[in-house]
Amino acid sequence: MRQFKAILKKDIVMELRTKEMLTSMGLYTLLTLVVYYVALSQAGNGFDVRLIAGGLLWLAFLFTSMLGLNRSLVHEKDQGCLEALLLSPLDRPVIFFGKAVGNLIFLLIVEVLTIPIFMLMFLSGRPIVGPIWGIAVALLVGAVGISGIGTLLATMSVNTTGKDFILAVLFIPIMFPLLYAAVAATSAIIIGNPGYMSLFWTAMAIGAAYDVIMLVAAYGLYEFIIGA
Amino acid sequence: MKQLRTALVLLIVGGVLTTIDLFWAFWRSTVVTFGTATFPNAVTTARPLLGQTAQGFIYGKAWFSQKIFYFHVPVAEASFLVFGVAAFFAIRFLMTRRKDYDTKSRIAMEVTLLFVILTMITGDLWTKASWGVWWQWEPRLTTYFIMTLLVIAYFVLRNSVEDEERRAVYAAVFCIIAFIDAPISFLITRLIPSDHPVVFTPNGLDASQLIPFIIGQIGMLMIGYAIYTMRMSEERLHERLDVAKESLEG
Repeated sequence: MRQFKAILKKDIVMELRTKEMLTSMGLYTLLTLVVYYVALSQAGNGFDVRLIAGGLLWLAFLFTSMLGLNRSLVHEKDQGCLEALLLSPLDRPVIFFGKAVGNLIFLLIVEVLTIPIFMLMFLSGRPIVGPIWGIAVALLVGAVGISGIGTLLATMSVNTTGKDFILAVLFIPIMFPLLYAAVAATSAIIIGNPGYMSLFWTAMAIGAAYDVIMLVAAYGLYEFIIGA
Repeated sequence: MKQLRTALVLLIVGGVLTTIDLFWAFWRSTVVTFGTATFPNAVTTARPLLGQTAQGFIYGKAWFSQKIFYFHVPVAEASFLVFGVAAFFAIRFLMTRRKDYDTKSRIAMEVTLLFVILTMITGDLWTKASWGVWWQWEPRLTTYFIMTLLVIAYFVLRNSVEDEERRAVYAAVFCIIAFIDAPISFLITRLIPSDHPVVFTPNGLDASQLIPFIIGQIGMLMIGYAIYTMRMSEERLHERLDVAKESLEG
């Protein structure tokens, strides 16, 4: 537990000093919102943006999380930190959970900051039918899966010649079931068709099950990746 | 050398079986009907006469696009199976770190890629004929498309790692993670309401359909195994060549 805290603290202290990850992820999300405006600009006033709001939100998170995951592991590699971690008498799973929880925290911060801005810019005047905590649950389930398997794939991709391109190629198809469940749950809350709560819980159950499978796989396989 | 000869024989037998399967499917299997058409007079047609009412003669509307089933389903099931073999060898590699398991896993993935592409092509022919569109974002199609992307990603990953041992480990780990999608794709039509037909239910197929299907399935597995064995013996020759080159240079 102390080892875990030390790794987590290292990441947070570094972030507090440089503020690099949060700035780049936050700014990237804002830019994505501008691109969304352009994409929707010709749709006309009759178009109900709530129908695709869940999808837009998760698209922004997916891309910004890839940016963040890549950054977090590139730092480790460039400064020789990963080798140092391997030399230290740490349990390998602890390294994995330390990095994954660090990434989870940063991703959650970006999500919490983005959602109000997104709602202000795209959903003002259009009511959200379901309870707001539903969106929070969806965010948490999605973020856990993204940072868990994402940390494993990012550790792989920083050691390849393609780096962030390889991360995208590996990450997006692996993430697909979770992304689908997260979008379904978020959209159910925002649109609120009849019986939306049962759709929400089904999607969340699928998402959570996928999280568990992926976390177990990542936990078991991380040792091979980091040792190679 | 003996293995290679067996592989060649299997390839030929498998090819013959698949061909028989297709001929049988087109000539002898019961045509599945999906509706009826009524004509005022009796007409000459291969389609079955179902009955006669005051309006005229009723004929079954044939579902000829269903014929692609005899190729599409065997190759799709073979692709799941070979993917499983690749994942199995990937696990064996991580346990033992023996290089030939990595080669076996890679070759199995190559066969998977071939079968997956064939499945996508034959599946598309069917969707166009049956649903009238080339592509539909439907659970089975979507998850299978994701599986295709994962198999392609495996080779992209392999090509971008320079260190040989690291490449093998990364590829094995990714192969195992990617394989998680295969059972999802296989089971999804049984879990979620979907337009994609589920064939293997009780009373799903009658004998004239089941026999050619089984022949085709066996043929396809033989072809898969033959390609795998031939590629393996080619790889072994490559390795021997490399060793010979090194000893000549050294």
